[in-house]
Amino acid sequence: MKFEWFVASRYLQSRRKQSFISIISIISIVGVSLGVATVILVIAVLDGVEHGLRDRFLANEAHIVLRMIDHSFFGNYQDRIEQITEIDGVVAASPVVYSQMGVFQTGSEGITDTIYIKGIDLTQEEKVTGFSQYVNGSIDFQTSPLIAEAELREQETITGGIVLGSRLAQRHGLTRGDVLRLVVKLVEDPGGFGSPMLLVDFSNFVVIGVYESELAVYDNRIGFIDYKTAQKLYSQVGKVNVLLVRLEDAETVSELSPVIEETAFSFMEMPITTTWLETHSALFAALKMEKMATVIIEALIILVAAFNIASTLIMTVMEKTRDVGTLRTLGATRGNIMRIFIIQGSVIGMLGTIAGTVLGLGLCWLLSTNILRPSPWIAIAVIGILILCQTIITFRRLIPTSKALKIGMVFFWTLTVCFVLYCLVKPISLKELGFSEIYQMNQLPIRVNWFFVGFINLLSFLICWLATIYPAWQASNLNPIEALQYE
Amino acid sequence: MEKLIRIDNLHKSYYDGDSELKVLKGLNLDVHKSEILTIMGASGVGKSTLLHLIGTLDRPTEGSIFYEDQDITALSEIELSRFRNNAIGFVFQFHQLLAEFTALENVAMGGYIKYSKYSGSLNGKTQSLREVYEKAEHLLNSVGLSERLTHFPSQLSGGERQRVAIARALINQPKVILADEPTGNIDDKTSEAVLDVLQDINERLNQTFIIVTHDSRISERAKRTVHMVDGKIEE
Repeated sequence: MKFEWFVASRYLQSRRKQSFISIISIISIVGVSLGVATVILVIAVLDGVEHGLRDRFLANEAHIVLRMIDHSFFGNYQDRIEQITEIDGVVAASPVVYSQMGVFQTGSEGITDTIYIKGIDLTQEEKVTGFSQYVNGSIDFQTSPLIAEAELREQETITGGIVLGSRLAQRHGLTRGDVLRLVVKLVEDPGGFGSPMLLVDFSNFVVIGVYESELAVYDNRIGFIDYKTAQKLYSQVGKVNVLLVRLEDAETVSELSPVIEETAFSFMEMPITTTWLETHSALFAALKMEKMATVIIEALIILVAAFNIASTLIMTVMEKTRDVGTLRTLGATRGNIMRIFIIQGSVIGMLGTIAGTVLGLGLCWLLSTNILRPSPWIAIAVIGILILCQTIITFRRLIPTSKALKIGMVFFWTLTVCFVLYCLVKPISLKELGFSEIYQMNQLPIRVNWFFVGFINLLSFLICWLATIYPAWQASNLNPIEALQYE
Repeated sequence: MEKLIRIDNLHKSYYDGDSELKVLKGLNLDVHKSEILTIMGASGVGKSTLLHLIGTLDRPTEGSIFYEDQDITALSEIELSRFRNNAIGFVFQFHQLLAEFTALENVAMGGYIKYSKYSGSLNGKTQSLREVYEKAEHLLNSVGLSERLTHFPSQLSGGERQRVAIARALINQPKVILADEPTGNIDDKTSEAVLDVLQDINERLNQTFIIVTHDSRISERAKRTVHMVDGKIEE
């Protein structure tokens, strides 16, 4: 062991009765570790939210949406779909009649709500968005037995079946088999007296299934019907107003979207292509901004911990001033003295960073693992008993003197803390907290970004190392004569 | 007698703003090999300043200090550290032992620095760290502290601490041991024991000592005593 390491390690341990410095070293280590653990945990949550939303969006949505600039209907959609699917990197494309309709609830005198209606081709839609896996009930828009039953019961003409977003259905108190009256469009009646009147064009749909994607934006406001029914309602047979495309790799949208647009539409038709990235650009930009702000704030936490290291070292230098003088008389150079204190601070930083990483990753694991845990009361009882034992040991001065016993005590305390955390820290249900609608997911998502863990480790160590420079320089510049006479 | 140290026209001044305090005023002194030289004088006359300059802990304002014809005032900071490690041993009034280290580790420290920093070369012969510790143990045995190897300074008496400090000064076989009031902080009986150790080392190892003291008992045992008056030596 090099002489500097030998001295620095002894200063960290501090065998003197006044174990002041070593307690401060422990506090510094805890400071750094809490900072690092917080950064890892917070970034894991933010990353979890971002990727959770992204995965959900990608699972439920098409990667590319094609439409005309004026939202008008267009024909030849089957030909266009064939052309699109021939492009390398495209998995599937599907036609959609996209519209907005009013909900005319029985008993009310007007439109109570507006919802988005997506007229879909089941076979094609399945390939693009995997529609059926989110539906609870039937997806048979034309021949579901519920339609015939409703027709018989209500004695009214039923246009077809509809699959409603789960929250939308809940909001209107609708379950499978119920009839939903939708206002398709308002038609001007020119034959009246005075000013022309608007006539309401109703259609009755039977709720045949409930769509639950866990994305509030869909579950709250959307209904699915057969696209041919939608074409008829809008008198646009053989036409659609949207084409949806799914790619093999969602990240290739920027490259493929212009190719797809040029292949399926002529320039004169004035098509508009929207990618999933553009649709959610504001959200992802906000998340990125939030993550960046968090990293800066968390880096400041580590900086505060580093200041703690600096103050610890400054105190060490003050306490060891005479030692510095002695070491200089024994032949230690300024460089030797500087390295002693840099090593001491760096070891604190390194231990804090490692402990923080273990703690942070442990908390991430606990927050994302759904397993049966012992009651929190057991944890409280264990920690209570241990604190009581430790208090008795301390007051009775039964402090272990051998190194093995001391290591044993530290090991025992570490195990206890791990057990308590295991009992107390569990996945957080956003549904129970009432945040699932805001965050579009039911459980607090955790995703450990290993690259970032590595980065924060390096950053933390670098900050701690930098914090050692000034105190170490201060120590190395002590005049040996003044240092020897220091009281 | 063979000269070990030659001090020529040594001046040392301290400055406080524009005012100059002249401590040493053209001091000349020769130190011979294997002698115990005591430097006596009134407080504030510059005894400790002279010792610090001989010990390369400070630089003179003017003049030269030669160790066997090598002018140490011309050495760089790093060369001075190496020189201190190799050629000089210090014994202070307040022992200056490192509290976190055992007696053995304290004694070995100078050797450890030499081993770690200067490749452990001792008089051209490379020594291992184990040899450093063996030597430290031997030195502690020779000052009568064989039972105190693993004791920390706080577990030792005043006399024992000073004997550890003497053993520490000897670890790299220095050319000279500089002692500043070595008995200034211990009782009379313990002082006698410490002086016995110094004298024994001098006789056994032909070790040169320069001792700054007010203690007449030390000057009685010294081979030569010089007095400092007004920043100069009066033999």
